[in-house]
Amino acid sequence: MVVRGSPSAVGGTTCAHVLSELKELYRYRELLWTFVVRELRIRYKNSVLGFFWSILNPLVTVLVMTVVFKYVLGVRVPNYSAYLLAAYLPFMFFQLALLDSAQSILSQLPLLKKIYFPREILPIGSVIANFLHFILAMGVFFVYLLFVWWLNPGENPFRATVVALPMLIVFQFCLTLGLALFISALNTFYEDVKYLVSVGLYLLFFLCPILYFVEQVYAAIHAPDMSQAWQGPLFTAYNLNPIAMLLIGYRKLMLDPQPITVTRTGDVIETHNLPLDWGMLGIAGAVSVLVLLFGYAYFNSVKWKFVERP
Amino acid sequence: MSKPAILVEDLVKEFDVTHTGYASLKGKLLWWKSKRRERLRAVAGISFSVQPGECVGVVGKNGAGKSTLLGLLARVYKPTSGSMELNGRVAPLLELGAGFHPDLTGIENVFFNGVILGLTRKQVAERLEQIVEFSEIGDYVDAPVRTYSSGMLLRLGFSVAVHVDASILLVDEALAVGDIEFQRKCLRRIAEFQQRGGAILFVSHDMEAVRRAASRVIWMRSGCVEKDGDTEQVLRAYEQSGEHPVGD
Repeated sequence: MVVRGSPSAVGGTTCAHVLSELKELYRYRELLWTFVVRELRIRYKNSVLGFFWSILNPLVTVLVMTVVFKYVLGVRVPNYSAYLLAAYLPFMFFQLALLDSAQSILSQLPLLKKIYFPREILPIGSVIANFLHFILAMGVFFVYLLFVWWLNPGENPFRATVVALPMLIVFQFCLTLGLALFISALNTFYEDVKYLVSVGLYLLFFLCPILYFVEQVYAAIHAPDMSQAWQGPLFTAYNLNPIAMLLIGYRKLMLDPQPITVTRTGDVIETHNLPLDWGMLGIAGAVSVLVLLFGYAYFNSVKWKFVERP
Repeated sequence: MSKPAILVEDLVKEFDVTHTGYASLKGKLLWWKSKRRERLRAVAGISFSVQPGECVGVVGKNGAGKSTLLGLLARVYKPTSGSMELNGRVAPLLELGAGFHPDLTGIENVFFNGVILGLTRKQVAERLEQIVEFSEIGDYVDAPVRTYSSGMLLRLGFSVAVHVDASILLVDEALAVGDIEFQRKCLRRIAEFQQRGGAILFVSHDMEAVRRAASRVIWMRSGCVEKDGDTEQVLRAYEQSGEHPVGD
């Protein structure tokens, strides 16, 4: 093997270059898998309940949220927990994967300074480890839906459109991985980034339809006192957030539509029930793939600089 | 002559040195303050080659560029200019804090280390018994590595590195740890490794260790090769130069 010097220590971004980087990554697939296994092992190494925590944690959170929203705030939605979980589980994957990967390069810097391996393995490994937890949690979620249906047989436990779920999961994986590559690289040089990310994720949680329904956003935007000219663009802007749109997709593909009733002044009652906007979902998918391409390109352009961090 | 294991030509590595010390968003935002950038030539155009079966010691005082050279050969850094040719698998010896995770057991860490050095999990499993036996860790292999002494960690790390069938071994400042018995075993193993055509490059401040193991020595001084040749000659010149504090 021959290595030649280049003055900038920056990788190229041509098509051939990207292809060779991908080939190199494939050559190291065994190491990637070892990293994933190691990550999973480390996380619950010293805890008694181990792997169950990744299930228990969202279940307890959702239980608390359900109690608060149903009995304290008086949200009247049948099977509210199911709607909560359908959006909360994917968001948890998004959040945990980004927080883990933000640290992935920095925490392994001593190793990076000793030996060569494709650096992208670290953030990719963090994302895959969290992805496996997510898939497991989704499995438990379906068991929960079947259990509710068995207790209370009526309609189907979930909708037939659930077959489109893998597509959504692929989109979310692309989006998460792209952001993870970008954030992990950036955090290596500027350690403020991980704090920015955790604040950003906290805000994003409320900007996404997790605790509430997208119909409620629609109703709020289309309130009589809102300027007509802004209503359309504002709602489109809300849907342009790819993670929000994907969460809307998760809910609407899996669960029955949930009509939301609002009472306006003068006893006008409106019921909103929006179908899934496939066009906006398509845009979210395209954005996710673009984010992945951009994140990967950025990561490759700086990865040789990690060890030279001043 | 056969193909060299390592062939280095005019290798240069420069680093950015900032005087503000630490990179942060703040540093970037106050960009007009960080204009005082300098380029440090850690390795300033060196050429040498190592033949299969050679064991080369690298000496020099701190900051002479020894570790950067090892990093370049381990492909941790991209060279600024020049070229290097590495024929065969390169195995850097991973030491405490780098390759091992404290919460995982010895065995789990052996797998991780083996795979990162280029083996498949299956190959590690096949060699597991040999690796553990050589390391003399015994029943501790199933205990978390944080319970190990530094000597045990070194033995395990060394044992993995010599069992991955590398043809080039890179050692940074490590051989001196462990008891006399284990050191002898390491030297035997290294001799075997050399006989099978493996090349070793090792950096050390321990002149006795270099004398025992190296068949040739490269003396580095501010990024350049000061002297390259027979162990005894180079070491004598190095010690006489006063760069190496006697009795260290």
